[in-house]
Amino acid sequence: MKFICSKENLLDGINIVQKAVSSKTTFPILEGILLEADDKIKLTGNDLEIGIECYVEADVKSPGKIVLNSRMFGEIIRRLPDAEVLIEVKEKDVVVIECESSLFEIRGMSPEGFPALPSVEKVNGIKISQKIIKEMIKQTIFAVSMDENRPILTGSLFEYKSGTLTIVSIDGYRLALRTLKPESQVQDYSMVIPGKTLNEISKIIQPVDEELTIYATGNQILFDLGNCTMVSRLLEGEYLNYSGIIPKEHETMVTVNTKELLACFERASLIIVNDERRYPVNLEISDDMMVITCNTEVGNVREEIKADMDGKKLEIAFNPKYFIDALKVIENETVNIYFTTNIGPCTIKPVQGDDFAYLVLPIRK
Amino acid sequence: MSSSMRRVIFLVDMNAFFISCEMANKPELKGQPAAVAGNPKNRSGIILAANYDARAFGVKTTMLIHEALKLCPGLILVPPTHNLYARKSREVMEILSRYTPVLQQNSIDEAWLDLTGCDLLFGEPLAIAGRIMDDIRNELDLWCSIGISDNKFLAKMASERKKPLGITELWKKDIKRILWPLNVREMYGVGKQTEKRLNEIGIMTIGDLACCDANILTNAFGKYGNELKKLANGIDTSPVTANPKGESKSIGRSTTLSKDIVDIELARSVLLRLAEEVGEEARRSDFKGKTVSIVIRYSDFRTITRQKSIPLSFLTRDIYRTGCELLDENWDSNKPVRLLGIGIANIDEDMPDQLSIFDVNEDLDDEIKREEKLERAMDQIRSRFGSDMLKRAKLVDGQKEE
Repeated sequence: MKFICSKENLLDGINIVQKAVSSKTTFPILEGILLEADDKIKLTGNDLEIGIECYVEADVKSPGKIVLNSRMFGEIIRRLPDAEVLIEVKEKDVVVIECESSLFEIRGMSPEGFPALPSVEKVNGIKISQKIIKEMIKQTIFAVSMDENRPILTGSLFEYKSGTLTIVSIDGYRLALRTLKPESQVQDYSMVIPGKTLNEISKIIQPVDEELTIYATGNQILFDLGNCTMVSRLLEGEYLNYSGIIPKEHETMVTVNTKELLACFERASLIIVNDERRYPVNLEISDDMMVITCNTEVGNVREEIKADMDGKKLEIAFNPKYFIDALKVIENETVNIYFTTNIGPCTIKPVQGDDFAYLVLPIRK
Repeated sequence: MSSSMRRVIFLVDMNAFFISCEMANKPELKGQPAAVAGNPKNRSGIILAANYDARAFGVKTTMLIHEALKLCPGLILVPPTHNLYARKSREVMEILSRYTPVLQQNSIDEAWLDLTGCDLLFGEPLAIAGRIMDDIRNELDLWCSIGISDNKFLAKMASERKKPLGITELWKKDIKRILWPLNVREMYGVGKQTEKRLNEIGIMTIGDLACCDANILTNAFGKYGNELKKLANGIDTSPVTANPKGESKSIGRSTTLSKDIVDIELARSVLLRLAEEVGEEARRSDFKGKTVSIVIRYSDFRTITRQKSIPLSFLTRDIYRTGCELLDENWDSNKPVRLLGIGIANIDEDMPDQLSIFDVNEDLDDEIKREEKLERAMDQIRSRFGSDMLKRAKLVDGQKEE
């Protein structure tokens, strides 16, 4: 194998596939990147949870393949001058890396043991702009659970049902839901993607208008960005029936300015210096105003915000972090907040439509 | 308080607590035979608590659902809502604490009160007991029985005499007549195992135990033997110790191994057995912990403790799983271990009560709820039939650790 490519392109490819390379594993080969030269070169990282392959333009002199330790290879390429890089495999898996006046000879690994990416049949694909899917993931991933005792909740649900794609995360105390009606129509499916891999995937997706395609099969989900493909394992098990969790009725509804409310919560939580679970933020909702208060060992704070109320007056307490996380990712200028009781769920929704829903459980006083 | 003053100790025991909480919440259950059952949809579940209408048909705690339905075809089955019971229990304790700050909660549905010297404030013990019973009945729509004596053991034994809605005094002068003819199994503190061993040395009744030669008991049970004899004679000097509020609380178990061990698999089995005991006690007292700790003492007596945070839990599964993680992280296979321990703790119980989706959607199919039901059912079976009745496969013979 022998090829020449630009350092910049190669480094971009390495940075992408490194997101799928294990840092600690008992199989040294999983700490490697597979390089394959054909008419282009293809880089592959695979930690068996997530697999990423990425094509890089190159002048291929002779085809072949080799596995290089990801950290070593990445560091070497990163520190080379911005110029053309020549990579050649010699006898006994020795790899030569040459760039201007630098010359490395490092030991590679035989590509035989490298796990192939699971093959995913490219049918049933949904095309979505990269920018939009990146937003949707960001708007839901924060509510993924860290609690290994409910493994299914450590992932996000991707559900396609009668023309709507819904992403849902639930950590037990809150729920984040985002919907989209993509133009492509596919068969209904429901799958749960591990939060960790989804996070890596969203880093690779760029905030650009170009589309990617999402293919779903029984055991894998594949994101196809053209020059780069990501395949993630799925979590097994039944996800919670999220639509049953979101209340259909409410006792109190307020309409507020999203940014102003976010600012109120952020200011109120300034005096929570230790542990936000310990100090709830209290909401007192009356006719045209919401009063937000908080008492901690530091002192107390009171915030007033204009709010159109419909229904009963209510006093309720929350962990402010749950509201802040949700309000931060909402782009709408105003939102409706629906309350049931002071020990029941509260849901933030758009004033019109059903693009998103953020449900938060209160703190019992 | 002078030391000569006679102590006045109450044991307040809530009658058919779980099902009564359900009846207070759902009045339509009143006057009907009803029971809280492990999983009513599954006919092999067990009865956790039956109301008195159901008991009239012969329905008893730990009975299998289909057996209960055979006795009482009209039996209404209600799934358990432990949050409700924990809340009602707190409300009961609040009422009790109006009468004395010296209150020791023994389980979710019973507590000892030390009312020594309170007669000037509230009246004679019988009158106070009547007021407590009325308060709980009027404010919470729940029934209780109250035992009165001058120590915790006799108060507990007295409370068992008349249920529901009984107020019973039991003093040292009455024990020959009332306690001694009873089977030892009826004695508070004597479980299935102890009963078996007492029977083996010819002790059948509490009277046999009271009159037994102290040496025989010490030989058979060690120090505990003497304790048992004293209790059977109505002697119990243990104080009512108020449950500390807002302070750290913990439940732990440790064991000195009969042989030093180096095998981590063996250590895991030991931890599992201990975690089962810790979990059982934690569930019985509705105490959820947020840290799990393990203790490892090596044969050279060097001892380490390591701990890890978990989401609030009282499940054996979580205690054991976290214990194993700690073991894996700290196990040194070159050093023989002579003692292992595991426990859970909660640094403060004053943490506000963040509600979860699983609290407000009771019918949500959830693996943690299922695990809790399973472990509670195991607790019930063990408390009824002895702890050897049910064993985890890991602890069945062949995996003997000591």
